[in-house]
Amino acid sequence: MSTAVIESEGLGKRYRRRWALAGCTLSIPDGHVVGLVGPNGAGKSTLLNLATGMLAPSAGTIEVLGNRPAAGPGQLARVGYLAQDAPLYAGLSVADHLRLGAHLNPGWDAQLARDRIERLDLDPRQKAGTLSGGQRAQLALTLAVAKRPELLILDEPVASLDPLARREFLQDLMEAVADQEVSVVLSSHLISDLERACDYMIVLVDSRVRVAGPADELLATHHLLSGPRRDPASLPDGMQVISASHTDVQTTLLVRTSGPVFDPAWTVSEVGLEDLVLAYMKQSAAPAARNNRRHLEVQK
Amino acid sequence: MIWLTWRQFRAQAITAAAALAAFAILLATTASDLSSLYNSSGLLTCHGAACTGLASQFLDQLASAGESFLLIPGSAYMILYFLGVLVILITPAIIGCFWGAPLIARELEAGTVRLIWNQSITRNRWLMVKLVLIGTAAMAVTEAFSLIQAWWAAPIGKAVGLGGASSIFSETRFGWFVFPTHGITPLGYAAFGFVLGVTAGLVTRRAIPAMAITLAIFAAVQFITPLWVRPHLFPTSQTTATVAASGANVSLRASPALTLTASFVPGHPGAWIISSEGVSAAGQRVSTIPAACEREVSDQLGTHTEVGSHSGTPVVPGGASALNNCVARQGIRVAESYQPASHYWPLQWSETGMYLALALALAGYCFWRLNRRRS
Repeated sequence: MSTAVIESEGLGKRYRRRWALAGCTLSIPDGHVVGLVGPNGAGKSTLLNLATGMLAPSAGTIEVLGNRPAAGPGQLARVGYLAQDAPLYAGLSVADHLRLGAHLNPGWDAQLARDRIERLDLDPRQKAGTLSGGQRAQLALTLAVAKRPELLILDEPVASLDPLARREFLQDLMEAVADQEVSVVLSSHLISDLERACDYMIVLVDSRVRVAGPADELLATHHLLSGPRRDPASLPDGMQVISASHTDVQTTLLVRTSGPVFDPAWTVSEVGLEDLVLAYMKQSAAPAARNNRRHLEVQK
Repeated sequence: MIWLTWRQFRAQAITAAAALAAFAILLATTASDLSSLYNSSGLLTCHGAACTGLASQFLDQLASAGESFLLIPGSAYMILYFLGVLVILITPAIIGCFWGAPLIARELEAGTVRLIWNQSITRNRWLMVKLVLIGTAAMAVTEAFSLIQAWWAAPIGKAVGLGGASSIFSETRFGWFVFPTHGITPLGYAAFGFVLGVTAGLVTRRAIPAMAITLAIFAAVQFITPLWVRPHLFPTSQTTATVAASGANVSLRASPALTLTASFVPGHPGAWIISSEGVSAAGQRVSTIPAACEREVSDQLGTHTEVGSHSGTPVVPGGASALNNCVARQGIRVAESYQPASHYWPLQWSETGMYLALALALAGYCFWRLNRRRS
């Protein structure tokens, strides 16, 4: 059995009186490219900052690759982190940043870093402060990748990029991680950014995890049902309604079920990842009790 | 980490080196003139009491040498002397503002802590390397300013040490701006100023407010230390002497309360007088001017008003000494509390140690705060 890259139990983070993240129980198996998706302010950055040890939890526990986050230099070396807005030292050149990486990381892959900078066509003498948004993100990614981490965490890496740079960055990221044995956790508030890249999804809304699981499994267990108008409460047990919409005569439901749908009244169709995630994101006003139940169900 | 610290600190280091070089050149241009004036003043060959007069003469000569320097009116020696002292006094504050305050605050502002704290290095080590390297540089630069100034001002220090005094050069080694700018105290002030800035930056998370706070606290500390802290850093010595022997002067500032200001401690040249007060022959404290001296008091007050309105000379010397003599005739002696010259180095060590300890305590607080992980 493979170990979990991130394992959390009742994890929560409170800023004064507001919980930025609450009751987060997760177990992300390794070897995935994990998409962490949710609206702005849902707690994505908080979760990732807890995973990198930038923040300490207010409640619960979190382990990353089996250890406390940022427990020591060894643990820091195993996790690569590309923080939001790709922070870099504006006064230092591209080459200085690579030297910084080489000096501060025992596992630094100088060849990889040099090759990437060359391929990205970055001038080593250019100051980081004068790079474009896309170039900054690429340089920050180079720093995170060249330290050869076992887990690469990226917090909204493409949020500030234009659509073309977005695509290039994600493509480049996929190439970079394909060569290495590295798990990736990548957050975005746009599912479209993650759909192509990720094979594991976590939906975080209102500081709580709504659903988490491998993309193919999510697709296999969610169905779009449409048929004559009826009350969703009349559905059989084991079928959970994620979203429902009604017209005068018709009802359309997104349901989660482990078994097949037998009722001939329904027309069953597959649902795309984007619609699935959006359905979970829309559920923000769901009562807490149902939330908790769903939580238990989505745990693996 | 050492490489990164140096890379980030390089510009400031070069600025400091340039300032140090400019300071050294400025003082070096006049150093030989100053020492040849000293050599020709007769202070090298004098003996005993003759030296005091020669020393004062030498200092007067310095005070009146030239009419302006660097466009500032006044004697070149006076300007350089006070400029040097000023530079040493404010260097720790400048270091605290420009090296200390932005050290963490700017990284927090720019978000680069999220980059650097995710390299394979703990934040404790990150801070430790920065504090040790830049802290050492801060101490070295400040002490270098102090040593250059001490070398240049050595003739002035010797003349004051021989009892010489002029209108502007009269501060002894214990003087409020001489003591903290010479010896080893600059090391303590530099370490404290630097770590104070770092701490302020970590607490406020903003470089500019941190600079203001650093400046305010450092100025307050430099003001409080000579007044209330330094005199008590080492146990004081006590003695009782006559009014004449202690060169005491009775002041009417707080009349009718008796206020005595002693100038010497008999048998202890160069001592730093912390306080002096009138005591009776029995050793009891005398807090008011004796009634028997009423006439001298009113004389002096009367003269004071009359003369003051015409020429501005505040006190007629005869009037003052008449009051002093009267107080002495009433059997009043002067109880002095003082630090003898031999306490100079113990006091230097105490004050330096105190500031180093403060710097260490603040550094400890920074480490503690950094590990609470509320980045």
